[in-house]
Amino acid sequence: MAFVKKEITPARPAPLSERSVIGWMHKHLFSSFYNSILTIVTMYIIYITTKGLWVWGIADAVWIAESRRECFDISIDGACWAGVIAWMDNIFYGRYPKDELWRVNVGILLLIVWMLPLWLPRVKGKIFIAITLISFYPFLANYIFLGGESSFFSQFMVSAAIVSFVVIMLNAIIGVIQGQSISTFIATRLGSSLKSEKSQRNLNIALLIMAFIIAFLWQQSWVLGEVPWTKWGGLFLTLVISGIGIATALPSGIILALGRRSKLPVIKVLSTTFIEVFRSVPLITVLFMATTMFPLFLPEGFVLNKLAQVIIAVCLFNAAYMAETVRGGLQTIPKGQYEGAHTIGLGYWGTMGLIVMPQALKNMIPNIVGNFISILKGTTLVSIIGLFDILGMLSSVSRDLSWIGLHKEPLLFGAMIFFILCALMSKYSRHLEAKLSTNRKT
Amino acid sequence: MKLTTFFTSVAAVTGILVGGMTTASAESTLEIVKKRDHLRCQIGKPSPGFYTIDAKGDWDGFYVANCQAIAAAIFGDKSKVKYQSVGSQVRFTALANGESDLLSQSATMTMSRDSQLGLDFLQTNFYDGQGFMVRKDSGITSALQLKGAKVCVKTGSTSELNLADFSRKHNLKISAVTFEDFNVRDETYVKGGCDALTNDKSSLAANSAAFPKPKDHLILPETLSKEPLGLVVRQGDSDWANLVRWSLNAMVNAEELGVNSQNVDEMRKSDNPSIRRLLGVEGNLHDGIGLDKDWAYNIIKQIGNYGENYERYLGNGDKALGITRAGTLNALWTNGGLLYSPPMR
Repeated sequence: MAFVKKEITPARPAPLSERSVIGWMHKHLFSSFYNSILTIVTMYIIYITTKGLWVWGIADAVWIAESRRECFDISIDGACWAGVIAWMDNIFYGRYPKDELWRVNVGILLLIVWMLPLWLPRVKGKIFIAITLISFYPFLANYIFLGGESSFFSQFMVSAAIVSFVVIMLNAIIGVIQGQSISTFIATRLGSSLKSEKSQRNLNIALLIMAFIIAFLWQQSWVLGEVPWTKWGGLFLTLVISGIGIATALPSGIILALGRRSKLPVIKVLSTTFIEVFRSVPLITVLFMATTMFPLFLPEGFVLNKLAQVIIAVCLFNAAYMAETVRGGLQTIPKGQYEGAHTIGLGYWGTMGLIVMPQALKNMIPNIVGNFISILKGTTLVSIIGLFDILGMLSSVSRDLSWIGLHKEPLLFGAMIFFILCALMSKYSRHLEAKLSTNRKT
Repeated sequence: MKLTTFFTSVAAVTGILVGGMTTASAESTLEIVKKRDHLRCQIGKPSPGFYTIDAKGDWDGFYVANCQAIAAAIFGDKSKVKYQSVGSQVRFTALANGESDLLSQSATMTMSRDSQLGLDFLQTNFYDGQGFMVRKDSGITSALQLKGAKVCVKTGSTSELNLADFSRKHNLKISAVTFEDFNVRDETYVKGGCDALTNDKSSLAANSAAFPKPKDHLILPETLSKEPLGLVVRQGDSDWANLVRWSLNAMVNAEELGVNSQNVDEMRKSDNPSIRRLLGVEGNLHDGIGLDKDWAYNIIKQIGNYGENYERYLGNGDKALGITRAGTLNALWTNGGLLYSPPMR
């Protein structure tokens, strides 16, 4: 007599209440009398609002028309998306000449391709990628966007950018295929004649110089017409201003935060004053000061580039905010970490760079990215001082005689663009948090 | 309002400072502009008819054409202008601090502005005035019938003050509904939130083009205020003011003489001494303002006379606001308007 069953009984399917739609609804929407009423009322509210939006924005909307009058003739109550479509180039690129738009696209594409290897795990030398990106890419982008005649220095930096871009790309390809860095790859290919480290380094330098000369000669043949900054605008301008703001905010914020916590009185007072002054003044006031009041203190006839003034103002302002965020992160690090660092013989910069900062910044990722998002949104204030960023362009649609009075549709479109950009940023921050927190075994 | 007051006082202070400096400086504005090889002309935030960005991204409009006229006079090329679009709070400061050479916005000339800001308001080249718009089916035909009415108006503007004055003067007890954004104001009016809409008449005409049914609305005949609009330059360089003033006079004068962009080449052969002097065929009018003798010819050839400019942007052209010129203050003096050019001899 064996009552022991030989094979395992297959798992029965979950009860109907757990897997059917009705079961799910019963559990989540109609679990009690009051919840059912709440559900029905909420459904009704959602229905009313989305129906209105649907009818206005999609069902009755006009997509193809020559002017707002034509939109009205076709559908008097619907949205007139035709105006937004006609202004699409302006909204994205501002008044940038329409034949030269490829330059903006190339510039932005280069940035993306340049940064791509940073996310590929097999690629070596990521520090090199980041450093060249910060030091050379701005000059290349500046020349592509602005064009015109360039000084020797800027040609030099452009050539350096080309060389580093090529090196990074080759490095990334070799990294993905072979899992090595480009210099080890060259060394192994050339065999044993170049065993010693010194000769290998010499070879690399020689190759770099050769590439540099070729790049320098090549870039001299570039002829890009000048597009003054006054023609920049739209989303492109917003990205330029906020991109520079974002790129500089973190490093300068770290320096200011360290300065504020420093034991040296002069540095401490200077950093604290800077942070408090810029944090207690609204951004719009800083912008007005930079563009309208600052020229008064300059000699007559000396006119600064308004865009540069705005960018500097945005950078200083956001550095102050970022400094406080970073300082908050520093305060979360227990004293034991500093003491531990000292006991293994690290000095100030070693303690900060290797022990404290990595932990502090990791803790602060949500706040830092929150700051970045507010920089992106905050730059729309420049439309008040007469730069035609994306908000300036969106509100100009209603002033164009063909589309006069058309203001809801462009603003809604702008809101969608901002939503997408900000959602991407916060999504990335959550990904980063999840990725970094796995290393932590506490 | 407070912000505006602040910036106005800033403009006044800078005007005094900079005004003092310009008289002392050796280089005149014309020399600086010529050396720079373009004119820096200040216009306003986009406004239909006056300064707009079109879908191609170019500036265009009545006041933009004024900038082009000055550039054509100086360089013989109307494209040598860089436009600076400045909001109304800081427009005078941006002229006083030397950012702009010239302000070509719809800025109303008033005594306090002309005498306290360190700026010179030149002669008026567009006469505007505040008016009311109502729905035709309301049966209202005069502003005096607006007793107890709700009127939509833009906040912080002189229109709001003029409306209050008008209501008090005629004891109408008008209640003002104020808006920050003119698009929202217009929409509220169209949806029936107000009985009437008030603004400068040119803007009323322009904005009503955006209404779903423009023919259902009517602009009332009363004018509440005087809004003389003209170009503004920094005080302290009379030569520059002369150049701008006479460039605009040349456009009016050309219309008086029947010279326009189409016939200007034939008109050079005309026997009329006034035309010959205007177009630089004889005489030396150009000496006094330091330009070539083709200066007025270039303006008329490239931009046109005043009437052409008006029709193109404000009158009945295909891209214009549709404000009929005849019978208004903006007609030539010979047609009962106020536009009048002093003799050019």
